[in-house]
Amino acid sequence: MKKTLHGLLTLFMVLVVQLVFAQEKTITGTVVDEDGLPLPGVNVIEKGTNNGVQTDFDGEYSISVSQRATLVFSYVGFASQEIKVGSSSTINATMVVDAAALDEVVVMGYVSKKREDMTGSAVQISNETLQQTPAASVDQALQGKVAGLQISSTSGTPGSTQDIRIRGISSINAGNDPLYVINGVPVVNDNLSQDNNGNSLGSSTVSPLASLNSNDIESITVLKDASATAAYGARGANGVIVITTKSGKAGKTTINVSSYYGFTNNAIDGPQPLTGAQRETLYYEGIYNDYGAEYGFSRDEAKQFYEDNLGVFGRSYLDWNEQGRPEGNWFKAVQNEDAPMQEHVISATGGGEDHNFYASLGYYDQEATVIGASFDRISGSLNFTKDISENFKFSTANTASHLYQNGILEGSAYFSSPHTAKYFMSPLDQPYNEDGSINLDTGLPNPIFITRNDVDETKLTRILSNNSISWQTPIDNLSFTSRFSVDYQVYNYKTYNNRILGDGSETDGDGYVISRNTATYVFQNSLDYGLYFGNHNFDLKILQEFQKFRRNYIDASGNNFAVDGLTNLAVAGNPTGAYSDFTDWAVASYLGTLSYNFDSRYVLNGTYRREGNSRFASDRRWGDFWSVGAAWNLHREEFLKGSDFVNNLKLRASYGKTGNANINVNQYQVLVNYDANYAGAGAGYPPQYGNPDLTWETSRTFDAGIEFGLFQNRLTGSFAYYKRESRDLLLDVPLSMTTGFSSQFRNIGRMENQGFEVELNGNIVRSEDFNISLGGNLGTVKNEVLEVSKDLNGVEVPVTNSSTSYQRSASGTMVNEWFMPTWAGVDPDTGVDTWYTDASRDEITSNYNNAQRVYQGSSALPKFTAGLNFHVDFKGFFVDANGYYAGGNKVYESWHLYLNQTNGYISSVYNGYSTLMNRWQEPGDITRVSKMSNGGEPWRYNTKYLYDGDFIRLRNVTVGYDFKPQILEPIGLTGARLYVRGMNLYTWVKDDNLQHDPEVDATGFTSITTPPIKSVVLGVNLKF
Amino acid sequence: MKKKIRNIFYIGTVACLGLFNACNTSDLNPSLEQSNREEDAVMSVSDMQVLLNGALNRMTSSGYYGRDYIITNEVRTTNTFSNGNSGRFLTEAGFLYLPSSVYMWDNAYAVIANANILINTDVESLEGNADLGLHIQGEAYAIRALAHFDLLKTYGQQHVGGSLGVPYIKEFKGDNDAPTRETIDSNIEDIMNDLEMAYNLMSEDYYDSSKEFLSKYVAKAFESRVAVYFGMWEEARDAAKLVIDSGNYTIISEGEYVDSFDQDGTGNSIFELAFSETDNLSSNSLSFIYRGGTYGDVQVLPNVENLYAEGDVRKDILGYEGELLRNMYKYPEQFSNVPIIRYEEVILNYGEALLNLGQAGEALTWLNMIPMNRAKTPDDPNEDPADLTYSEATTENFLMERRKEFIFEGLYYWDLLRNEMSIEKVDALQNIDKTIPYGDFRLAYPIPLSELDANSSMEQNPGYGI
Repeated sequence: MKKTLHGLLTLFMVLVVQLVFAQEKTITGTVVDEDGLPLPGVNVIEKGTNNGVQTDFDGEYSISVSQRATLVFSYVGFASQEIKVGSSSTINATMVVDAAALDEVVVMGYVSKKREDMTGSAVQISNETLQQTPAASVDQALQGKVAGLQISSTSGTPGSTQDIRIRGISSINAGNDPLYVINGVPVVNDNLSQDNNGNSLGSSTVSPLASLNSNDIESITVLKDASATAAYGARGANGVIVITTKSGKAGKTTINVSSYYGFTNNAIDGPQPLTGAQRETLYYEGIYNDYGAEYGFSRDEAKQFYEDNLGVFGRSYLDWNEQGRPEGNWFKAVQNEDAPMQEHVISATGGGEDHNFYASLGYYDQEATVIGASFDRISGSLNFTKDISENFKFSTANTASHLYQNGILEGSAYFSSPHTAKYFMSPLDQPYNEDGSINLDTGLPNPIFITRNDVDETKLTRILSNNSISWQTPIDNLSFTSRFSVDYQVYNYKTYNNRILGDGSETDGDGYVISRNTATYVFQNSLDYGLYFGNHNFDLKILQEFQKFRRNYIDASGNNFAVDGLTNLAVAGNPTGAYSDFTDWAVASYLGTLSYNFDSRYVLNGTYRREGNSRFASDRRWGDFWSVGAAWNLHREEFLKGSDFVNNLKLRASYGKTGNANINVNQYQVLVNYDANYAGAGAGYPPQYGNPDLTWETSRTFDAGIEFGLFQNRLTGSFAYYKRESRDLLLDVPLSMTTGFSSQFRNIGRMENQGFEVELNGNIVRSEDFNISLGGNLGTVKNEVLEVSKDLNGVEVPVTNSSTSYQRSASGTMVNEWFMPTWAGVDPDTGVDTWYTDASRDEITSNYNNAQRVYQGSSALPKFTAGLNFHVDFKGFFVDANGYYAGGNKVYESWHLYLNQTNGYISSVYNGYSTLMNRWQEPGDITRVSKMSNGGEPWRYNTKYLYDGDFIRLRNVTVGYDFKPQILEPIGLTGARLYVRGMNLYTWVKDDNLQHDPEVDATGFTSITTPPIKSVVLGVNLKF
Repeated sequence: MKKKIRNIFYIGTVACLGLFNACNTSDLNPSLEQSNREEDAVMSVSDMQVLLNGALNRMTSSGYYGRDYIITNEVRTTNTFSNGNSGRFLTEAGFLYLPSSVYMWDNAYAVIANANILINTDVESLEGNADLGLHIQGEAYAIRALAHFDLLKTYGQQHVGGSLGVPYIKEFKGDNDAPTRETIDSNIEDIMNDLEMAYNLMSEDYYDSSKEFLSKYVAKAFESRVAVYFGMWEEARDAAKLVIDSGNYTIISEGEYVDSFDQDGTGNSIFELAFSETDNLSSNSLSFIYRGGTYGDVQVLPNVENLYAEGDVRKDILGYEGELLRNMYKYPEQFSNVPIIRYEEVILNYGEALLNLGQAGEALTWLNMIPMNRAKTPDDPNEDPADLTYSEATTENFLMERRKEFIFEGLYYWDLLRNEMSIEKVDALQNIDKTIPYGDFRLAYPIPLSELDANSSMEQNPGYGI
């Protein structure tokens, strides 16, 4: 393994080495493949030096070397070979396809492994693939790239968080987010937009990953099964995402410049709001339906009845008609059409024999698709490695960034959000007055004024520093590494509601600020030992780690601002709140991992980790986690060696135990909190039930798979099956509220996820200047809750999702399965909605209260996800395309009561969708939309608004051209690329009734706040 | 061999380096810098005060007396309706609530939990003034009784033909965390016992003139309210009499009436919940739901304008915001204190008790004490103030006077129910289609579904399916 690393390192060096040494001899030659075709881009290196060149398009090279040199020829996918320089000045080489072919090294966090030596399931994504998705946050690039990984945008606001689920959901109440590891160190990746209790603020979410420049990232590895996540076993139940930043490449300093500029819009148009005229039609029809029979007037006389009873109905429609029926187009008023986005990065890498560096500076800027929101980031990084002496090596990786998000209220259907405004604002109200000024006399506060005068902004400064020193001990293959990492984040949030209009008008303006500093330290000490004799290879790692998180939090608020336009609390006449707290948590662990292989044919891996977490009482703190894995590389066996057909064939299986402790701190304790007050004095209350027995939630994962490479690796792929049973769930068990508490965390319950994953990649055409490849992946997940808690009477207590009571989990259901009455259509005779009384669907009722809630056999979690990748290049031109499919789930339309029902909200208060015009009008009408009424209605969740979640999205398409070196050399460039890149250009939605964007967050509710975006950018990369 | 020994030495050195940094379980103890462990939370009498504040603070939540409990009752009467401006209280005003609603069930029991921590405390074992400790314990008993009374009124089956009340919780984290519903009679007995206990434990020495904390006679004021509600007229008379005889309280005068809602601790206030400029519910406050264009859902029904005679100072509570009839001056600001029980109610409780105990003449005197203080002094000194008094003490007149006096304060709904009256449809703007007859299942709130899920011993009220 060390050898491979060394080889790779050399290879990297050679890529960039342009140095010319004083020569003793010049060697020339041609490199061809087994078919005799010339191979361009083969690395030819003088062994033991930095001296190297690459073959040109004709497979030819020329290198000056010393007389006694050895040349090393290497090329990805081929076995490298060494040829001693003799008397001849011509050395031709024929490269042979490597049986193991993909000597890819997979970075797994603590350890890196050759793919051959892996027994688990992991997918590594290169920087180039990451670059295909232009986005503020690098995790967005993972969509469609990894079988079994589901990702959805929680919001289209730049820099907001993504919901990522790897192989389903393993926990009901503890977190389901994967663990993030950057350069071998676990990092905290919670939404930053939180108050002191960890509750999301009403404004846009902010992902810590948005502070990273994706250009600085070398690769991302997604670890899926117990064997792969074993090293992080204690917190690995939800999978692990390992991010590795770029390291320096020794040799002549090369500089990379990449820039793009483009435009974004909402990915799909979404529902159209009613026009004023449509809304008026529905209103009069509602009056007819509500009062026509009682007061004896006809449909056509409804308008007259309205005008005769203005005292009851109000004057809004009359006034509107008197004004000449002007249409208030709020959709247009709040839109930021073709919102610009841009990113510019310059990076440099280079170094000498004993040191290397990578440095970069990046700038990213994006506006949202509505007025009043934007995101920008400036980031810098410096990675440096130095051999202090023969045996000591120092390495440091540092990133510093500052991001600014001008957010909007989007945590709920806030009236002040410009996104919601286009549906909630009445079309009878005009955005602007006739003189062009902003109309302040609107039913709900005018969002144009609000976005201009309110403040909602997040600033984050993050410094991430990872330093290590390693000592190659005098014992062969025994090295010791000590690592210290700090992740320091300074978060500032400020919100201000103006004095004139909206939420702050009652109190003459109000402001609220949060200042939060967090520091996460990680100390690691590890020993690596390799023992190799004969065909027996042992690699042993022992590691000790301590991670500590500290948070200082302050918030303050005030109102009665002295003047307009000044929004800091210094201007607030009346301070209304001040709060500070300090919290911390710590994790300590000991890890041992042993890899053994026999001639690379038989591979055995074992890992054991013992981890203690401060979230549990001292006698419940420690958990033991482990995994075992085995693999058989059949292509190494005699009977397949040298086969033309099979180049790679591996069988593998693993089993292990992982954990999850992803709950709030101090949940186990029985506490009295004092963050309350009464009559100016402090007040104490018991915030939680507490449970001193609380301990780790665990998962046991079985994973088996086959990996193959056929026809000179033209066809590669893998197939895997997994089954994960989670036990002792950290369940927020519902309590009788008579206790004074609604729930208590206990270790109860079991759940199972299982599924298949397939990956297939084919190089359909592989030649010198024409290549076509097509790849795809498919992942399935079947989730079942096996057990939840029981009450004192032994009756099972179904667990209601804390975010919605229409999702429940009970034994035999899916986790958070949709649970609501089943809609039975609109009665053609009366025009009212009907529901099935119970699960048998025998009986129909028009009284919602008589309709039982039933499990709907579906959840928000997609059962299937798939990705499709296509690449073609021809003489420098290339096209990359990538699509994503998710489906088998159901999503629920949020806010339908106010926007998509035939009631008074849509006709008198807010506005509705234009599809409401299909309402039932007379007996015999067959339609989904019920009869219009202007009355109020309570919330009635039912399956009428539960839609198939299946969608296909053309995630990205890139068309570009790589300039030929011949053209570039005279102008001093070594590489240049020009491209046009589109993201989310096309979306297919299965369910016609689903008008909103189908890509919804993990809760399964559609969003009217900030839908995902599509973008088109023009970019250029230069290398010199 | 030598090499082997050296190797062992090196491995040992490195292992020691590792161990040097090793950490143990105690390194993993989390900081606890803004909370106390429960066992450390009640060490002194002053700690008791802090937990009592906690109970009172829980009463101020918007789910309870901060807004919802008052509004939900008010919008179910002919006083107000919901215009749905922000989508709030349409369900309640239309009697359309479902078991999915938790309403005040959780809030009230959370208040009870805080009170029980104090009630379960052995005062004698604490540092500090034991008399004060006992007084605080008395306050906790009164709070526990009031919360259970509110729960019983809301969820009990007294108006829907059943006998079930609510679980009466007397212990914090007691053994039975899946309690069954007790009978209405048993609830009443417990409430009265708690109030008696409260009265006995509290001392006049700790009379609180701010009215933001409970004093000895608050227990008796509550008792008169409970007794009137259940027609226990002797108890009502006796309890009210003690409050009156205490001499601590006065009826607010006609000149001060409207203004009194903008002031804290007025003479007629017996107990009120504290809000302030820095501690209020902001957009979830009563003032925000009664007025303004952002929420302002709760609007006054047209019939209320005709409720008051000319010259009745209480008519000035009403006003117009544009074309909308509003409650303008009760809970005038977000930071206005919320009265829980006023002296006027005790007076009327006393009068109504006398009426029902056959002392109609005496009752009339007490009934008229309120309207006598509600007639405006005319601008013209030659003019007599309007005569708002009654000539006869009847149940109807008591009901009418209570509606006028306590409008928008959430009491009228209970007065209708205890008099076995229907919720009439009198205005087109009301959120109900037609009159809700007395006895209709909707007069008892549904037990929350989440409670039924967690506690299979709990029984739903009739009419709500599951």
